[in-house]
Amino acid sequence: MRRSKRKQTLIAWLVLSPVVFVILFPFVVTLLTAIKPRNELTAIPPHFLPSQFHWENFLTVWSETNISHALLNSLYISTLATLIAILVGAPAAYAMTRFDFRGRRAYRFFLLVTQMLSPIVLVLGLFRLMVTAGVVDSLSFLAVIYAAFNVAFCVWMLQSYFETIPKDLEESAWIEGAGRVRSLLTIFLPLAVPAITIVAMFTFVNSWNEFIIAFSTLRDSSSYTIQLGIIEMTGYYSIRWDYVMISVILASLPVAILFSWLQKHLIGGLTTGAVK
Amino acid sequence: MKSGSLKPLLFILPSFLLAFVIIAYPIIDLVRLSLNDVGTFGEMHGFIGLENYHYVTEDELFTEVLLRTLYWTFFVVAGTIAISLPIALILNEDFYGKGIARTIIMLPWAISLAMTAVIWKWLLNPDYGMLNHLLLGLGLIDENIGWLADADTAFPLQILIGILVSIPFTISILMGGLTSIPTDIYEAAHLDGSSYWQRLKTLTLPLLRPFINIAVVLNVIYVFNSFPIIWILTEGGPSNGTDILPTYLYKLAFRDGEIGLAAALSVIMLLILLGFTLFYAYFAMKKED
Repeated sequence: MRRSKRKQTLIAWLVLSPVVFVILFPFVVTLLTAIKPRNELTAIPPHFLPSQFHWENFLTVWSETNISHALLNSLYISTLATLIAILVGAPAAYAMTRFDFRGRRAYRFFLLVTQMLSPIVLVLGLFRLMVTAGVVDSLSFLAVIYAAFNVAFCVWMLQSYFETIPKDLEESAWIEGAGRVRSLLTIFLPLAVPAITIVAMFTFVNSWNEFIIAFSTLRDSSSYTIQLGIIEMTGYYSIRWDYVMISVILASLPVAILFSWLQKHLIGGLTTGAVK
Repeated sequence: MKSGSLKPLLFILPSFLLAFVIIAYPIIDLVRLSLNDVGTFGEMHGFIGLENYHYVTEDELFTEVLLRTLYWTFFVVAGTIAISLPIALILNEDFYGKGIARTIIMLPWAISLAMTAVIWKWLLNPDYGMLNHLLLGLGLIDENIGWLADADTAFPLQILIGILVSIPFTISILMGGLTSIPTDIYEAAHLDGSSYWQRLKTLTLPLLRPFINIAVVLNVIYVFNSFPIIWILTEGGPSNGTDILPTYLYKLAFRDGEIGLAAALSVIMLLILLGFTLFYAYFAMKKED
């Protein structure tokens, strides 16, 4: 006998509830801190709920802190990193799905290694590379580094999507004399746009959330990304936790929404990759 | 189609060059630095063989930090798998509110580690933090606790936060595995009249095994390298009491100016990682062939 859905629901939520609480509690506190009146932030004993909701904190934070500049820096770095990663990753993924060539396996292994070498073990060398090249605090160069660390992920994800685009469409176009490049641009590319968009958004989120490379290599606070800008705010002698939490929300909410929507594609992509 | 031409290599070249330059240059530079006597500003005073390696590993602190890194990696990964597996199994069943449950469980993945750490730093604040407030209210503690001021309370909490942020990624791998299990074998098992626990033991878990393996290996690599949670909460302190290799490396390189030692430690960590990677490649490529 299968257990009834109602009974199953009860058991499921009962088991999940501690985890759900531990996940949601910090987010509730974050929001409540963001809109608390200033004097209640440091009240002893603390109040869980604010006596009044200061939603206008979301407006004053722009003039009271530097986050607008840091948000723009992050937007620039993440956009540029995404463009570069897709521009070099998409052709590689195309070759991996459409050609069988010598070195294919070696390239796959190379990608795997680049993916596994985490930034922390390379960060001293990366900083010295930036010093040698005279590009310390260059946002564009940081974007190039982010792109390099995202190449493997882009190629893998794009490859698993490109494999689902049937080859016969291109092949029949060649027979009609369209030429490889033309059929690539007019037949393959339009079909690949959704996949490229999804992978691009992932790369964007990855770059947006990156911490260790930016933290170790950016020296001038005017080039700080949003992650660093917020960490800087927690280092002041008297920390404005309401502004910190608003910044956390502003830095996280847009990408969190994007990410929640993308997650099912990631799981789909991983599964297709696993099955094939 | 088999292609002997250079075309596929041209397609691959830009991505190869980008990744190679950005990743190979630092590796070569780090190896070179680690074998030289290096000044605070990175100037090299000559070849000294493996002296930096001896020096960095002889330090008692290194052994302590290495052991702590192993505890950290073991407990975070073990805890993550132990919690993720039942959750993935539940999320694979049919129940009311499944979509909401899944969204909530996946939520920590969407927030950067740095932001998660900032939020927890505030929650753990001894005077104004909501954790003390909550525990006092529930009568679980009698007075405010300075969680992060003592490594004995800070480190276990950092492990718990590490588990919390690793759960979503792990669940998504496990759920990918669960959906790849064909449903007809369950129907056959149903007809045999076997119970849920029997099916779990004899069918689901063995079929899920390769996915659990991959989740373990990838998590070991990520957790071993994890920096923001420990750095933002305690900076490896108090008195190196919560340092793991990544935070220790950061201090050597960017605080103490011990460039040669930091380079040697980077190479040591690189070799450990390479070991993990080969292990993973064995699993991943075996699956493909």
